Amino acid sequence: MFIERDVMTEHTEALSESDPDATQAGGWNQDYTLESGQTQLHELGHLRLWLTLLDKEWQVRSQYHYEQADPAGWSMSTSHVLPGVDVPLQRFVRPDAGTQVRFLPALAALPTVIRPYQPLTIPAAGECTIYVGTQVWLQLRVGTRDTQLTELALTEPSLTWVGPSTMEGDLCYTAPSYGRMVLDAVPKRPWRAITPVRIRNRRIEPLWLDRFSLPTQLLPLFQNDQGQLWTPKVTVVCETDMNAARLKISSSLIPEAGQCHPLSPPRESSERGSLVRAFDRMFG
Amino acid sequence: MFEDIEQNLLAVITEIPWSQWLAALFLLVMGLVLASLAARGISRVMQSRTSRHHSVLVRRLVFYTVLAIFVMAAMREAGFSLDVLLGAAGILTVAIGFASQTSASNMISGLFLLVERPFELGDYIEVEGTIGEVVSIDLLSVKLRTPDNLYVRIPNETLIKTRVVNRSRFPIRRIDLTVGIAYAEDVERVEALLLDLARREICCLEEPKPFVLVTAFAASSVDLQYSFWVPKDQVLEGRSRMMVAIKRELDRAGIEIPFPHTSLYAGSHSEPFRVELTRAQSNKQQDEIDASKTD
Repeated sequence: MFIERDVMTEHTEALSESDPDATQAGGWNQDYTLESGQTQLHELGHLRLWLTLLDKEWQVRSQYHYEQADPAGWSMSTSHVLPGVDVPLQRFVRPDAGTQVRFLPALAALPTVIRPYQPLTIPAAGECTIYVGTQVWLQLRVGTRDTQLTELALTEPSLTWVGPSTMEGDLCYTAPSYGRMVLDAVPKRPWRAITPVRIRNRRIEPLWLDRFSLPTQLLPLFQNDQGQLWTPKVTVVCETDMNAARLKISSSLIPEAGQCHPLSPPRESSERGSLVRAFDRMFG
Repeated sequence: MFEDIEQNLLAVITEIPWSQWLAALFLLVMGLVLASLAARGISRVMQSRTSRHHSVLVRRLVFYTVLAIFVMAAMREAGFSLDVLLGAAGILTVAIGFASQTSASNMISGLFLLVERPFELGDYIEVEGTIGEVVSIDLLSVKLRTPDNLYVRIPNETLIKTRVVNRSRFPIRRIDLTVGIAYAEDVERVEALLLDLARREICCLEEPKPFVLVTAFAASSVDLQYSFWVPKDQVLEGRSRMMVAIKRELDRAGIEIPFPHTSLYAGSHSEPFRVELTRAQSNKQQDEIDASKTD
């Protein structure tokens, strides 16, 4: 029987039990089963997550690390080893007797500001598509009832401000990577979702694209056969003489995403699938 | 004699229209219950749609309106004539008006505050040196809760007359820090270091952009103004975190943050200072000298 104290005393003894060969690749929306007393370590993005199952509770420990600038994989191992006491701990009473755990991705709850690699000018009546990787959050779900315990960002998100002045505007997250016009140039990471953004400039003057506020809270998430996360295409139309831009979220994915299945619904539902926003609240 | 008193008492008791008074009391209780239910209901409906400030205002308005209707009905039921009461109230108002100028002034100021809305419930405001969160906006006064958990009542009149700073009106705030560096240091290098620090720190917003200005050639240091933006709920934490980060960054780069010091310089036209070097005396020697003097 494992209670909290048992695991803590196990800590030093279990060090020898850990097997480095047991490291395997983790994935979204898969059921992992733990036994009481076991700890599962996940390394994804800049997050290290230790998940421990005890007889009466789930324990979640997490820490950010920045040894690599852009970690590529998702590694997972199961052992009886716990991290040091300096790693913050969250405890949750077990919602049911189920011992399985599942990780689901979710996009940011605030809009995310994306930038092309260098500022880009879209000529009058022109258009372009840029592909961008936006950060996802990890939702931790456990038990037979799939109860969500907590949600963790996979890298510490930084904020920015988009709006015509410091009085009016929106707080947004910044995208961890640049938007690219070629899909192959976008680094594919299990902790980022790829969004194609098509920008159509219907105005009579060129559009200088330095940054763009993508409403990530309105986007659903899909996963393809290679485990990559995708969102539907977002089309932004800059209208002729209005100081507004119309934004439409497509209902399907682009063919380059491959065979996909839905994973997470959007955090907020847009009522009509299209959204009109002030131009300077969208392009900064 | 006792019989007379008893009969009189009985006559008084039987003459009181108990049914009317009971009906009035029932109306009052009913009014209280209904007003409270209506206020709660309206507050629940409004909570998701409007700000806390508006929902509290409407809740109070509904409560007092419903209650006033029932109080009037209860008084009529009890046999009071409203015309007489209102007439008496008119005369009383003049008398009370003179006696309660301050209260009346506060009430009118409160109405102006409601219309002008310089702050809402939950905002952090600063009034005459008191900083706190607005916990209640009432007829006569506004109540604040200070960060050290004091309950401060500020009359509405004061809020109309004096300068009120609302610290949480806008979603983002700028923090200005003064950083002093030694005269020997390269200002441009320090500027680049500070801007890079703002880029790396999570609490600093990427836009509006942070900036560094040289503000003074001060007595002991070159003073720089380091300005960056943070979300309004991270002002205190952001300031402290950045000050720690600045110290660490400048120490790591070997840049001196000077403390105030004074150089004595006699000038080229004046005589140099005479400096005399003396050998340090130990305490024991000094004690012996003192003892011999007293002998």
